[in-house]
Amino acid sequence: MKILIAEDTKDLNRVLTVALEHDQHSVDSALDGQQASDMIRENGYDMVILDIMMPKKDGITVLKEMRAVHNVTPVLMLTAKAEIDDRVEGLDAGADDYLTKPFAMKELLARVRAVARRRNEYEAEILAYEDIHLDSGTLELRCENSVRLSAKEYELLQELIHHAETEVETAYLLGKVWADSPGAAPDTVKLYVRYLQGKLRAVSSNVQITELEQRGYRLERAYD
Amino acid sequence: MGGTESIYGDHLPQLEEAMRYLTDEISVLRGQIKEKEGMDPVEHCLSRIKSEESMREKCRRKGLPETTESALEIIHDAVGVRVVCAFINDVFAVRDYIAQLPQVEVIQEKDYIRHVKPNGYRSYHMILKVQQGVFAEVQLRTISMDTWAALEHHMKYKKKVDGNNDLIVAELKRCADELASTDISMQTIKDMIMTTE
Repeated sequence: MKILIAEDTKDLNRVLTVALEHDQHSVDSALDGQQASDMIRENGYDMVILDIMMPKKDGITVLKEMRAVHNVTPVLMLTAKAEIDDRVEGLDAGADDYLTKPFAMKELLARVRAVARRRNEYEAEILAYEDIHLDSGTLELRCENSVRLSAKEYELLQELIHHAETEVETAYLLGKVWADSPGAAPDTVKLYVRYLQGKLRAVSSNVQITELEQRGYRLERAYD
Repeated sequence: MGGTESIYGDHLPQLEEAMRYLTDEISVLRGQIKEKEGMDPVEHCLSRIKSEESMREKCRRKGLPETTESALEIIHDAVGVRVVCAFINDVFAVRDYIAQLPQVEVIQEKDYIRHVKPNGYRSYHMILKVQQGVFAEVQLRTISMDTWAALEHHMKYKKKVDGNNDLIVAELKRCADELASTDISMQTIKDMIMTTE
């Protein structure tokens, strides 16, 4: 990953840089908040490690500015030990994680690995079930031929695949896939299931989605 | 014998009659379905006898002599009909109707809807023998497939030999797959509307 370390204590900054480079990451350093802001704006980072107390601009301000322009890069904040309010403020401002100083290097490295892992999970993942492949990067459903799914269709199919061969309740699907759509209702789920049924047929898959009267749906291999 | 003689010999009236038979029958089907379901299944139907020039060019392209035999027996699209439907199920309804017509023999069918061409082309092709003697090619497709095919056809003639080509080909395929998905969604919505009536 490409990581920015914004930490004004030179020695600590150096030590972190060396440790992360040793873990095969590419590391940039900023020694004050303004430098950190500029570098974040000019470069794309996979992760930012941000100290709260920095000259010119503090970490919270740098973080708020990032989030205000919809920069969703994961941020790990380094906070002073006794200040719970610091940690709460940092997390609420948009930090994904925090570490209090002094911290163990191995803990920091483990938290960086956790971010890397989550990031890899969101990279183009091909979900395979029976005779179909679902590509999270392109939203392509592929079997004998391929079609492109809409974002909601993709999420619904992914959810059904994750619970393959078990009954999935309509309410659960509404909560998981349509969490951001207050207007969604059981009929919405039914329509989208019907869309998927059509698309599975169109790619000549042996996978079907069975409708279970009022209760929910079950994705499974068709047996004839 | 000279350059002014048609490659179709004196068979042109026969070709025209076969074409008229097909288009008349398609009109009958459209009327029937419109009566029964309230919707004309066909958006438009185009038909043509392949021009003299096109047929000769095709003969040359296939390494065939420019003769009546080539044009009428070996090449099968002297008579061409293209039926474009709004909904995908209607494409298959038209296919079924044509296949059972008394004066039609189905010689070959190519389902490029189920077996999509690598570039994304989708259509249903039927090679028919009409009224015992005349070959005809019928292409059945949805409006989306037709739109895509028209653009792709355009692109083929403007092909540039540079890196951009691969990108365009890939993007055309993506569009084809998205259009196909929309076609299915539209059919699903239509089915849902029709069953709740």
